[in-house]
Amino acid sequence: MIDEKKLEFKLGIFVFLGIFILAIFVFSIGDFKIWQRGYIVNVDFGFLNGVKLGAPVRFRGVDVGEVRAIEIIESDESKESKVRVSCWIKNSVKIPSDVSVWVNTLGLLGEKYIEIMPGKNNASFLKPHACIKGNDPIAMHELGLLAKELISDLEAIILKLKNREGSLANLIYEDSLYKKIENIISNLETLSNEIRLHPWKLLYRPKEKRR
Amino acid sequence: MKRPNFNFLALGKNIKDLFYFLGSLFHLGLENIFWIFHAPLKKNIILEQIEKTVIKSLPIVSLISLFIGIILALQTAVQMQRLGSEMYIASIVALSVVRELGPVITALIVAGRSGAAITAEIGSMLVTEQIDALKSLAVNPVHYLVVPRFLALSFMLPVLTLYANIIGIIGGYLICVYKLSISSTMYINITFEALRFKDLFSGLIKALFFGMIIALVSCLEGFRVEGGAEGVGKATRNSVVASFILIITADCIFTAIFYFVFP
Amino acid sequence: MILIDQITKSFNSKLVLDRLSLKIEKGETKVVIGRSGCGKSVLLKHLIGILKPDSGRIFIEDRDITELSEKELNPLRMNMAMVFQSSALFDSLTVSENVGFVLREHYHLTDQEILRAVKEALNLVELEGIEELMPHELSGGMKKRVAIARAVCMKPKIILYDEPTTGLDPITADSIINLIKNLHDRLKVTSVVVTHDMKTAFKIADRIAMLYEGKIIAEGIPQDIQNTDNPFVYQFIHGLSSGPITGINYD
Repeated sequence: MIDEKKLEFKLGIFVFLGIFILAIFVFSIGDFKIWQRGYIVNVDFGFLNGVKLGAPVRFRGVDVGEVRAIEIIESDESKESKVRVSCWIKNSVKIPSDVSVWVNTLGLLGEKYIEIMPGKNNASFLKPHACIKGNDPIAMHELGLLAKELISDLEAIILKLKNREGSLANLIYEDSLYKKIENIISNLETLSNEIRLHPWKLLYRPKEKRR
Repeated sequence: MKRPNFNFLALGKNIKDLFYFLGSLFHLGLENIFWIFHAPLKKNIILEQIEKTVIKSLPIVSLISLFIGIILALQTAVQMQRLGSEMYIASIVALSVVRELGPVITALIVAGRSGAAITAEIGSMLVTEQIDALKSLAVNPVHYLVVPRFLALSFMLPVLTLYANIIGIIGGYLICVYKLSISSTMYINITFEALRFKDLFSGLIKALFFGMIIALVSCLEGFRVEGGAEGVGKATRNSVVASFILIITADCIFTAIFYFVFP
Repeated sequence: MILIDQITKSFNSKLVLDRLSLKIEKGETKVVIGRSGCGKSVLLKHLIGILKPDSGRIFIEDRDITELSEKELNPLRMNMAMVFQSSALFDSLTVSENVGFVLREHYHLTDQEILRAVKEALNLVELEGIEELMPHELSGGMKKRVAIARAVCMKPKIILYDEPTTGLDPITADSIINLIKNLHDRLKVTSVVVTHDMKTAFKIADRIAMLYEGKIIAEGIPQDIQNTDNPFVYQFIHGLSSGPITGINYD
């Protein structure tokens, strides 16, 4: 006959340890948010550059929360849509009202996160559900436009150089200029030599020959 | 030109067998669910089955999970040292064990160990007329034999998987802390930082279904035994093969579902 | 009373029972004889509803069991018991759990009541002190007795025996035969015994029926069978290798 009491005891230990392991996982697992209390701070961006739900939120470079919701909202006044990011921040951290918020990139794989840096005025703190404005990251295509402008400017300069126009071109192409400078330098050299050998010459004023 | 023709016929027969198998599996599952709800559960048999099929698998599951953790840590160490980011070994070990290897390895071990035993037991009961005896005593074999095994395996396999998870992580920990001199706190922190609830629970849900698969397949193969001891041997072999295939298929489907539907 | 009416059964297109009809009166011991593998066990399994005939009907106490569902069949099965050829004791259970199996499964009895009933049943088969043994610790004859105890424990009205003496030594076999006779007299049950052992058949039968090629070819009291002029029955009961059944003639 199977000893039911003994079996129950074994099963009890087995399941108890199983629940214990489950508890270890549940209470230590990365999403601390479920067990901690926190508050939401909304940040409005014009452009988000691919921040994902659950991305970390850092204050002074320390993980303090995560992105809970991302929605695109149409604002009535400006007739312009923007992206509202709801950041969950744990209760123990107080964010000053004067902060700059931007999207930053983490590590090798380029994971995006929200970076919050305080400004100078640390007198008042953000309240739950406060709304602040974020600094838009520069989009790749804007970077591209900037680079393009820069390159076209450079191109104009190089073209002028090639056509031997302007003073920079003169500097590069005119040998006479170079020679003049060389003369000046050699003169200076003679002068400095002279002074080194006969420093008194600096003080010496040759008498005027009276005729 | 006779040979291809013959092969084609064999293929047709195999496909027919496959559908027959799936059909009977489904039928057994339905009957099993009917009996779970329509007759009192046999507590002592369920207890006995939990002990036999799950608790007694714990030593071998622990051993293999420990080695899996160690192997994962060592294998990734080579790559990670090249990139100079050994600390990510912790997250790789944690994620692969909790999401995939823990549930699957546990299920495969239990299918090989306990599933085969179930098939052999039911098969020899069939061969020695014990199944007929059950029926003659007005006891339904599905109620008496399948339901306890089904409940024991499907509800206890996730618990066993939890053990496998933690022991696999301990395996990685041993290598990283004692061999690669990563600090203990760092390893633990990174392990749990990498994990999400979804990872843990998708693994446990998989384990639940793997348990059902093992129980149903091994009972079905036991009931399908034909012809004596040789038949029992054949059914046991088929049972392990079918369990393995179905577990891996189900794993693939679940992983796809968790990937595409609940990202 | 059991009435078997024109039942047919085939396995994998092999015809085993072919429009077989047989009547078993209440309280009699009917012995069905026939060669090994001629479908005697199949016939018994039909009576207890483990197998369903392809066609034909089986009446037990005027109820057609071929039309009953598994659920409706179970109360009927509580009035019947089968002793299997291989004894079919549940080898994960002890002797007392085996014998008291039905009581544990179907009645709300206390452990003491079950134990008392088990002891009583084991006494009937002249066994005692083996309650806590496992089936694999028993000899063949003891297994058979335990199987009979398991059958009588549910106080059945009909007991079906499948080859009760096969595989036992002659002395044990004889004691089992006496046991079956005793039980029959004491419990006033209807018995159906399937065997190919003529000694068993003549000792316990009230009536004997012979099954050949899926049909009952002869039926009657033992003397009639002994003095048969049917060549098939003659060959079988005298155990001759030459005759119409084997189609060999050594004359």
